[in-house]
Amino acid sequence: MEKLLLRNVDKENSHTIEAYLRSGGYSALRKVLKEMTPEDVIEEVKRSGLRGRGGAGFPTGMKWEFAAADLKEPKYMVCNADEGEPCTFKDRIIIEKDPHSMIEGMIIGAYATGCRYGYIYIRGEYPIGRKILERAIAESYDKGFLGENILGTDFSFDLYVHSGAGAYICGEETALINSLEGRRGEPRIKPPFPVNAGYLWNPTVVNNVETLANVPLIIERGGEWYASIGSPDCPGPKLFPVSGKVKRPGVYELPMGTPLSEIIYEHAGGIINDRKLKLVFPGGASSSCLTADEIDVPMDFPSLAKAGTMLGSGAIMVLDETDCVVRAALRLIEFFRHESCGKCTPCREGTDWLVRIMRRIENGQAGEEDLDVILSISETMENSFCGLGMAAHNPVASTVKKFRDEYLEHIRLGRCPFRSS
Amino acid sequence: MTLEEFRKEIEKLKSSRKYLYNGSYILPALWIAEKNFSAITPEIMRTIADVLGVRLIEVEEAAEFYAMFHTKPKGKYIIRVCTNLSCMLRGGEEILEKFCDLLGISPGETTEDGLFTIEAFECMGLCDGAPAVTVNEERFLNVTPEEVPKILKKFGWKGK
Repeated sequence: MEKLLLRNVDKENSHTIEAYLRSGGYSALRKVLKEMTPEDVIEEVKRSGLRGRGGAGFPTGMKWEFAAADLKEPKYMVCNADEGEPCTFKDRIIIEKDPHSMIEGMIIGAYATGCRYGYIYIRGEYPIGRKILERAIAESYDKGFLGENILGTDFSFDLYVHSGAGAYICGEETALINSLEGRRGEPRIKPPFPVNAGYLWNPTVVNNVETLANVPLIIERGGEWYASIGSPDCPGPKLFPVSGKVKRPGVYELPMGTPLSEIIYEHAGGIINDRKLKLVFPGGASSSCLTADEIDVPMDFPSLAKAGTMLGSGAIMVLDETDCVVRAALRLIEFFRHESCGKCTPCREGTDWLVRIMRRIENGQAGEEDLDVILSISETMENSFCGLGMAAHNPVASTVKKFRDEYLEHIRLGRCPFRSS
Repeated sequence: MTLEEFRKEIEKLKSSRKYLYNGSYILPALWIAEKNFSAITPEIMRTIADVLGVRLIEVEEAAEFYAMFHTKPKGKYIIRVCTNLSCMLRGGEEILEKFCDLLGISPGETTEDGLFTIEAFECMGLCDGAPAVTVNEERFLNVTPEEVPKILKKFGWKGK
């Protein structure tokens, strides 16, 4: 397939505006400002069928339409570059190698929705990306793509970088907004949604990096062209970061709906030392696992939901036959316990209890009844305040259900069978 | 950086007019403190609150909430070893152990000479280079235990 999102990343100095302009960059913005009304832009994006690439998969055109319809001023455009889902590193590639594609997408989005100010909220763990973005924004101001009266029109848009400081929860859009206001990254109740009451309780559009990088392509080549790529009900190219026990870890750009098995075996080169695949987390650390028999599933939002898991960030994490399922699930729930903001009880207490029980199992001090306790806690956590707690139990609960024998073996042996003594 | 110089930096930050709300300067101000001081002390937090015209508790809350801000003294170099799943599967925990062994400290601690702080860190988005380590803003990918002394020496470690 033709490289679309990764079309520039291998070029020399791809992060500079000169390189971006040479490959036709900012022509979509020129087209938008000269030939299209904000309504036209929203229509085109709706026609494309683009769905958010941050994890929730909400239709981007619809989000923009809601924001455009709100009359409160000023409005804010926020790019969610808080890529914190473990094993996800797709946005990092765009931020570092093609920052202007997301900036151009952001300016177009701001024009379509009437946003006056923009912030790129980048995670604190990406200091290199932050510098690249700051430089790219300065270049964009120099060329007149940002600031007052962009390209001689009435449209003005100012853009800044805002650095997070190590909090996974800030990838949740309302927690991100709280963090942008200088507060603890705790989620807010929804509704009202950020499109109506976000930053400073004004209309705020929050879009993921990869989502925004798609926008110039849609404007240049048309929504209809875009909608013809990949799965019909969630089209377009998708970045799949693959890590764990594969021969070639990395970010692969493929059409939405590419089978998981093809990504693992053809693109990522198969399993290290040609071992057997044991299980895959197909959509980041908060997705339910799939077994070796379930990996023919197409990688898109509806297909994975049907398979009982989710696409999430599209991060594929592969474990082989020598890896301990309990230890892997324990490590992920330890992460969620660390990252739970503590606002609501099911998540704060649930993650803590799951860690305690999982440690007991891994250390061979648990009983079979503990597995039922896990599933009961997991059910309670579904009632968490935000998506973090609602999904945090997935790696634990799904492995208990699908790899019950391995859990039972830990309990029976009184130790982890994958450790030598 | 002296406290007076820091105050000037925060005043400069505030006059950038980047935000329409003073609270939004809290995180950028804490970042300036994090980079220029060994610890974000109560004195520093008071300075931030004072210049920005926000309540002290707001600054304290943010300083305590975010994992990358240090309110206790840290070393000149912060070694972050990722131990999340992708790095764990490829030996991240051994790398952490090697660092701790060589420096004679546990995760979260700082060497006596104040040179290094070691942290067992969550995913830093470098999973294609697992196991991954960062030292301040520099990255080290596909790290092997044998490479650990070399990394330390680069930052002035006197051991062998």
